[in-house]
Amino acid sequence: MSANTIIEAHNLTVLYGRKPALWNVDFTLPEKEVIGIMGPNGSGKSTLLKSIMGVVQPTSGFTKVYDQELDTVRDRVSYVPQRQDIDWDFPASVWDVVSMGRFQKRGLFKKLTTEDKDIISESLEKANMLGFAKRQISQLSGGQQQRVFLARAIAQQGDLFLMDEPFAGVDIATEEMIVSLLKEMKDEGKTLVIVHHDLHTAQSYFDHLVLLNTRLVACGPTKDVFTDKFLTDTYGGKLTTIAKISQELENKEFPIRHK
Amino acid sequence: MNDFYIILTASLVAINCALMGSFLVMRKMVMIGDAISHAVLPGIFIAYYISGSTASLPILIGAAFSGILATLLIEWFTKKARLQSDAAIGVSYTLLFAIGIVLISKFGANADLDQQCVLYGEIEYVILWLKPVFGAFMLPQQTIILLAVCILLVVAVIIGYKGLFITTFDPNFALSTGIAVGFWHYFLMSGVSLTTVVSFESVGAILVIAFLSGPPAIAYLLTEDFKKMLLLACIVGIFCSATGYYAAKWLDVSIAGSISTVIGIAFTLVFIFTSVIKRKAVVIST
Repeated sequence: MSANTIIEAHNLTVLYGRKPALWNVDFTLPEKEVIGIMGPNGSGKSTLLKSIMGVVQPTSGFTKVYDQELDTVRDRVSYVPQRQDIDWDFPASVWDVVSMGRFQKRGLFKKLTTEDKDIISESLEKANMLGFAKRQISQLSGGQQQRVFLARAIAQQGDLFLMDEPFAGVDIATEEMIVSLLKEMKDEGKTLVIVHHDLHTAQSYFDHLVLLNTRLVACGPTKDVFTDKFLTDTYGGKLTTIAKISQELENKEFPIRHK
Repeated sequence: MNDFYIILTASLVAINCALMGSFLVMRKMVMIGDAISHAVLPGIFIAYYISGSTASLPILIGAAFSGILATLLIEWFTKKARLQSDAAIGVSYTLLFAIGIVLISKFGANADLDQQCVLYGEIEYVILWLKPVFGAFMLPQQTIILLAVCILLVVAVIIGYKGLFITTFDPNFALSTGIAVGFWHYFLMSGVSLTTVVSFESVGAILVIAFLSGPPAIAYLLTEDFKKMLLLACIVGIFCSATGYYAAKWLDVSIAGSISTVIGIAFTLVFIFTSVIKRKAVVIST
């Protein structure tokens, strides 16, 4: 294992009942890069993040973060769950949600300090949500909900961020805002692991890719992994349709975003 | 004075149930209160059979044990047997309730346990067991227990607020930060169990469910801040207790039934009121 490995998965298998969500997955991920996890629906992307975070217990195998058990380095890792994981009609304000990012450092039985409050404000500002601090979360748009989750993760002040589909259901403006925020975070030396769906943007967003279809298909630098062969292995027949459409669109000079 | 005792007793039940019910409503598991209030029957009977008395303390301990057993059983059915949570609740509480009935019919031929009382409660009788507290001040025995539980719950909710809040709102995120989500689940369930057990003796199982779900649901419609929701649920519960009691006196009907009805009517009115307001808000904003 090389010196700059941040996450290691070894023989990771997760079963839901008798159905495997992940099967014998082995990989290591490098530090300080933007890493994409891609694969079709139900290929175990979210399960992978959840088992790294200890939210799901693996049936066999293990994962390590910074070459240690998660519990010893948990305060360096932030998790951004999928937006639809929670009930957005919950009676809570944006501030309430983001302040949860400080519970771990401060403990559940102590009051948040002025320092915590400053960090919460800063995180909200970074996510462009400071003006919405008092807003009820039921009144937010999809993109704003996503930014609240990001602000909460930033407030945790970790070095490693695991994000489950931060671009799902957000508008283009928000996606661009999130992308520039992620770039900023990368420049600060953070490592970002992102579950992502959109093949078109994959090459421009990610330095490193994990292709998953219950089993690991490929893992490596984007330029080595984002190839026809691996993508067909990951997506099967479905990809050819996607590829054809995007080829067609490109031929007609439709504005596809290549950043 | 009797009016005061009965309203006070009902209000204490209302506060206890509102505090626990608000968390249960947001966790979508309010029917667990229903399950516990029925599942305590075997515990009550076994405690009665062993101790040979209907004194409050052994009965309470027996009830609390089978209440906790019910929550463990439900958890086990959902987690290990992968049963839907509502099905797990249904299976476990009917099982425990039925065991209680079988035990009573076999060994309790002359048992002094009134099944009517279990379901409908007899709040009007609390005044029969007055005891002095703080010297001269007299309170019904049942009310003293409820008051003690109320103080305990208020302290527990204040101290455990963050833990209960984060594990209710986003359990996966809580797990990812290393919070013992399981601990907080059982912390809440112990509170629910305690509340249900001490409450149903005075007000009956049905009013306990009405108090657990109604006032928190009404408060949920009226506020978008969880702390305010807790407070509002308590106030709504007290208001419904007083209104329900006087309505029962006026119409000469069951007090528990009357309070439950008032809660139901209050919910309907608040629901209509808030949907009219929301519709207006939508018209203005568009």
